Amino acid sequence: MRTRWLWVALALLLSFWVLFPIYVIALSAFSNRAEISAWPKSFLPEHFSLETIAFFFGVEGVWKATLNSVIVAVMTMVFSIGLGAPAGYALARFGFSGKDAYRLLILLTRAFPIAILALPLTIRFIELGIYDTPLAVALVHTALALPFAILVSYSLFLGIPREFEEAAWTLGCTRIQAFRKVVLPLALPGMAATAIFAFVISWNEVFAAAVLTLQNRTLTAYLLTRLVEAPLYFQFAGGFFLIVPSLIFIFAVRKYLFSMWGIASR
Amino acid sequence: MAGIRCQSVRKLFGTFEALKSVSLEVRDQEFTVLLGPSGCGKTTLLRIIAGLETETAGDVYIGDRRVNDVPPRRREIAMVFQNYAVFPHMTVFENIAFGLRMKKMAEGEIRPRVERAAEMMHIEQLLQRYSGQLSGGQRQRVAVSRALAVEPQVLLMDEPLSNLDALLRLEMRAELKGLLQESRTTTIYVTHDQVEAMSLADRIAVMWNGEIVQYDVPIKVYQEPETTFVGGFIGSPPMNFLDLRIERQGGEAAGRLGDARISVPDTAAGHLRLGVRPEDLEVLPSGRGESGLAGEVVVVEPLGPHLQLTARVDGQTVRVTAPADLDVRPGSRVTLRPNPARLRWFDPDSGRALH
Repeated sequence: MRTRWLWVALALLLSFWVLFPIYVIALSAFSNRAEISAWPKSFLPEHFSLETIAFFFGVEGVWKATLNSVIVAVMTMVFSIGLGAPAGYALARFGFSGKDAYRLLILLTRAFPIAILALPLTIRFIELGIYDTPLAVALVHTALALPFAILVSYSLFLGIPREFEEAAWTLGCTRIQAFRKVVLPLALPGMAATAIFAFVISWNEVFAAAVLTLQNRTLTAYLLTRLVEAPLYFQFAGGFFLIVPSLIFIFAVRKYLFSMWGIASR
Repeated sequence: MAGIRCQSVRKLFGTFEALKSVSLEVRDQEFTVLLGPSGCGKTTLLRIIAGLETETAGDVYIGDRRVNDVPPRRREIAMVFQNYAVFPHMTVFENIAFGLRMKKMAEGEIRPRVERAAEMMHIEQLLQRYSGQLSGGQRQRVAVSRALAVEPQVLLMDEPLSNLDALLRLEMRAELKGLLQESRTTTIYVTHDQVEAMSLADRIAVMWNGEIVQYDVPIKVYQEPETTFVGGFIGSPPMNFLDLRIERQGGEAAGRLGDARISVPDTAAGHLRLGVRPEDLEVLPSGRGESGLAGEVVVVEPLGPHLQLTARVDGQTVRVTAPADLDVRPGSRVTLRPNPARLRWFDPDSGRALH
């Protein structure tokens, strides 16, 4: 009984730790300008106002950066699934030499700090003529998201019994038909979750985006360059707008993330 | 309908030899059971016939067609899997219709055929359900219906009843037997359950260590096992094996077991192994001058319809099935008289039967 209360207290503390800053940002984003710098601060939403948010979207470049972010994130999503799902399927279904090493290698790609990769990548992208394009950023983001995409789809396909496919083969399907009619429908929710996760990784990434773009900033990169000069309320609104999609997405796919990490969700 | 012929089929998994040159012929409309302990290669053989596994060497024929390079979808087979493999994202109706749709059958033809297949397995009231809403037994019925709906040349079943509980298994077994007797589909059925094999099969192929050790009708496999392995694997309790020393008197050979002398087939060997089923031993009270094997009862297990006795004969353990009203207790001295028509002799070194 004693330990149970301890756990509850700990859980509350952790939740507070994460939620309080988000709450403050949300509070500030929906207050008027005067309220933000007021002291002592009120932690209750007393003066609800869309003024700050409206101002944020009124600033030149915000919409363009948002659009860029969406383009990059969608490309990342497509690349990650397009490459990650077949890789995950191969890992789940086929035995091949070097399989274990390959699985380790996938994770090792996360061992290189993006800061080290950024400079050589910049040079290479300039040579290729794709510097400062959404494609370049999406490629780097795909490199970041791909390990997750592969490992999540690996466990997804592993969870679909091989017999389903074999039964489909004996009932008249080719390999591709069996995949399309039996495996894909079963894997689809998990694939969607993986795609969204890739989207969020891209949406939140700031370093590579900032280094690899000049004119075509993504939202994170744009906000980063603006933060120094921007007024406080602008920062709050921008922060809030960055957090919200990630929160919604992560909440939507939490079940699959848990299963990826081997935690049973109830 | 079609027969199946496997010719010297061999399968290696890495260096492990799962099948050592297996030949098997299943006649048209025959129900053959592949029986053996786990790891004997029976499922591998079935999967090779289905085309889900590729043979290392040898040929497989379905009908007159060599199917080695034919993918599963063109072999005109249907398979029932141990874990049912009922597609969870489709209704029962769609599951059963799956194979028909793949054959591009007209919609008007699919419905009556699905309904007929469902009726055969008594699941017509479940057609709109999903797999998740079914019990294990119902799922198995769906799997069988789905296989029968395509009216395959050959039906392959991989331990289809082993995931069901005992009572349901008994019920499904009888039902399957009735159904397949009616449809006369050539069937290969894999199981490790000897009772299932005995009750269902036209012929049983007993497998061990990647080989078929005996392929015959159930009663022959039971009464005349080709090897000590078959005798020991089939039957519950299994066949008794007693080692005898051979003595010669005036050119005639006789087996010696304790004080008892048993006439044996003529052999040059110094030892023989006698195989006798527990129900082929008659229990008589000792000391009445009856000829037979002298033994002492060690354990008495009343099982209802009969008694299960464990006795010691000349230091060797013998199991006997005795009438339920027999008056014996542990320690009783008895004479066991084997039915001379049911004795089976084996070479103790190779384990093969002597003919």
